[in-house]
Amino acid sequence: MTSDAIIQIEHISRSYAMGDEVVRALRDVSVTIGKNEYIAIMGPSGSGKSTLMNMLGCLDTPSSGSYFFNGVDVRTLSDDELADIRNKEIGFVFQTFNLLPRASALKNVELPLIYAGLSADARRERAIEALTSVGLEARMSHKPNELSGGQRQRVAIARALVTRPSIILADEPTGNLDSKTGQEIMALFQQLWEQGNTVIVVTHEEDIARHTHRIVRLRDGLIESDEPNDAKSL
Amino acid sequence: MPRASEIAESFRIAVSSVRANLMRSILTTSGIVVGIFFVVLMGVFIKGLDAVWEKTISIIGKDMIYVDKWDWAGGHSWRKAETRKDITFEQAEALCARLEAPELAMPLARRWGGSVMVGNKSMNCSVMGTTSLYGQTPAGEIESGRFFNPMEEQQGTNVTVIGYGVAKTFFPDGNAVGQTIKIKGFPFRIIGTIAKRGFLFMDFIDNQAFISLEAFKSVYGFQDRNFEVGIKAGNERMLDLVRDEAVGVMRQIRNVPPGAPDDFSVNEMKAFDSQAAAIRLGIWVVGIVLTALSFVVGAIGIMNIMFVSVTERTKEIGIRKAIGARRSSILMQFLLESSLLCIAGALIAIPLVQIVVFSIRFFLLNILEIEAIEAVSPLLPLDLLAIAIAVSIFVGLVAGIFPAIKAAFMNPVDALRFE
Ligand SMILES: Nc1ncnc2c1ncn2[C@@H]1O[C@H](COP(=O)(O)OP(=O)(O)OP(=O)(O)O)[C@@H](O)[C@H]1O
Ligand SMILES: [Mg+2]
Repeated sequence: MTSDAIIQIEHISRSYAMGDEVVRALRDVSVTIGKNEYIAIMGPSGSGKSTLMNMLGCLDTPSSGSYFFNGVDVRTLSDDELADIRNKEIGFVFQTFNLLPRASALKNVELPLIYAGLSADARRERAIEALTSVGLEARMSHKPNELSGGQRQRVAIARALVTRPSIILADEPTGNLDSKTGQEIMALFQQLWEQGNTVIVVTHEEDIARHTHRIVRLRDGLIESDEPNDAKSL
Repeated sequence: MPRASEIAESFRIAVSSVRANLMRSILTTSGIVVGIFFVVLMGVFIKGLDAVWEKTISIIGKDMIYVDKWDWAGGHSWRKAETRKDITFEQAEALCARLEAPELAMPLARRWGGSVMVGNKSMNCSVMGTTSLYGQTPAGEIESGRFFNPMEEQQGTNVTVIGYGVAKTFFPDGNAVGQTIKIKGFPFRIIGTIAKRGFLFMDFIDNQAFISLEAFKSVYGFQDRNFEVGIKAGNERMLDLVRDEAVGVMRQIRNVPPGAPDDFSVNEMKAFDSQAAAIRLGIWVVGIVLTALSFVVGAIGIMNIMFVSVTERTKEIGIRKAIGARRSSILMQFLLESSLLCIAGALIAIPLVQIVVFSIRFFLLNILEIEAIEAVSPLLPLDLLAIAIAVSIFVGLVAGIFPAIKAAFMNPVDALRFE
């Protein structure tokens, strides 16, 4: 285990029981991810990308195998400790944004800080800062349905950033956006990486993956390849 | 331990959720409204009964006991009492003379349903023959004029002291003293009136006229008459001692063989305590049954709507968990929501009960003119309000716990997938 490995998974599998059938979404996956890496996870639909991301984001637990997050075996953590990791260490960005529809952009971004126990003033300040960093300072009081798809995803990214996590996980963050907006969103991830974050992005599109430095390809729940992105790597 | 920011957030979510579904919330909470309504109403009834009862017995005298052939408890003791021999005047007098512990003791002769007249107006009232000592008991408290004195008592002068009800019937203007009243045709001069003593189901106390035993003898005769002895212990602590002494002496006077049961009864205001307790119990039972029923119905309604609420907000729960909400946060969010629904029910119920209590009190006091109700406050007592709120919170927690647990233990990935 290298000292700067932030994520280390070893032989994990995840299967779902569907009636009599068992769907093996992940079969045997091992990956080590270091600090400040910028990684794309690719693969055909149903290959297990989202399953893997949920695992990495501590939203789900593996059926077998082990997951060390910052050197800690995730299986030994309580539900509250997992919640705290999701809150403080991980920023998750979803394909479908997953914003609270009735809350303003500002309120949505403040939400993780509520669970982090910050005071109202500190929350507001940090949320405004995060929204400004994604270029939405003029839209803070808008509700999600008053924002465009790209703006919604920016709110979601601001929400992922606001607790200053060490890892940003994004599951097809541009999947619901047109390609121009998608490029803008990818530029934001690029920026986050430049600021020292570890960024992991799931995508279908080679165009998007081009921005990253390492590409992990999945097929049928197995890693097909895990290579540096030649175009980008130093 | 949830943090302050989480509690505040849970509270905000709960409020906005209740408000977002206002109509649904109000309908859901109706069972709780009915439950709280009955709880508080029952509490007010019992408190009112206690207040009126307390007032009644303190007016008649908590330290008074009455030695009599008859038993106030009634029922089967009545049949037993029927076979007893009357207490004669001599026995009553002897008992009064031999008692040492009490402050006062006096023989009483009673004529139920005696006819009294002023002019050509008449009414039925009980006529009591007693001694001047009766004027020193709480039941003989004078409102105007005076009680008869020992000289009038000895001579059997035709003077009388009348109860509040009698005075009000014949002399509504309050000028009874000095007037003449006919008792069984004999003219008596009214020398005093007694303050209002009767309350609740003790109203007969006000419809009495008091004359001396001598006068009573002339009017009604002592033949075949049962006498009572009224004893004022002096204070409540003396009651046991005085009762024991009265029983001992009376057994001697009436030659009751050792081991045989008393052939007389010792009556106290306490005898009515069991009746008051029975009424109390009745209200409790009815109230508890109605309350429990409506709370069960109400809680099921709330639980149902909370399950709906949890399902509707599955995605939201997933989002909150994904960004770091702990189980306890989600649990609290839904428990707060269900409690809030129930508190809202209590807040709807309380003004309703207040209106009902106010109306009932007004009706009893001003239409039925039951003055004893004055002892009952028109405003709901604060402790009952606190109980109502506490009960509603409890019901909210009970009704909300299963939906809240369902929400708290959702798997975040499954919750996020929910459409
Ligand atoms: N909760 C679940 N219950 C049952 N099967 C599931 C569940 N989640 C995922 N699967 C199955 O696991 C496999 C992998 O799913 P996953 O969502 O990880 O694929 P993906 O690579 O993200 O696909 P896409 O590109 O379409 O998002 C699929 O066959 C899917 O049907
Ligand atoms: Mg997917």
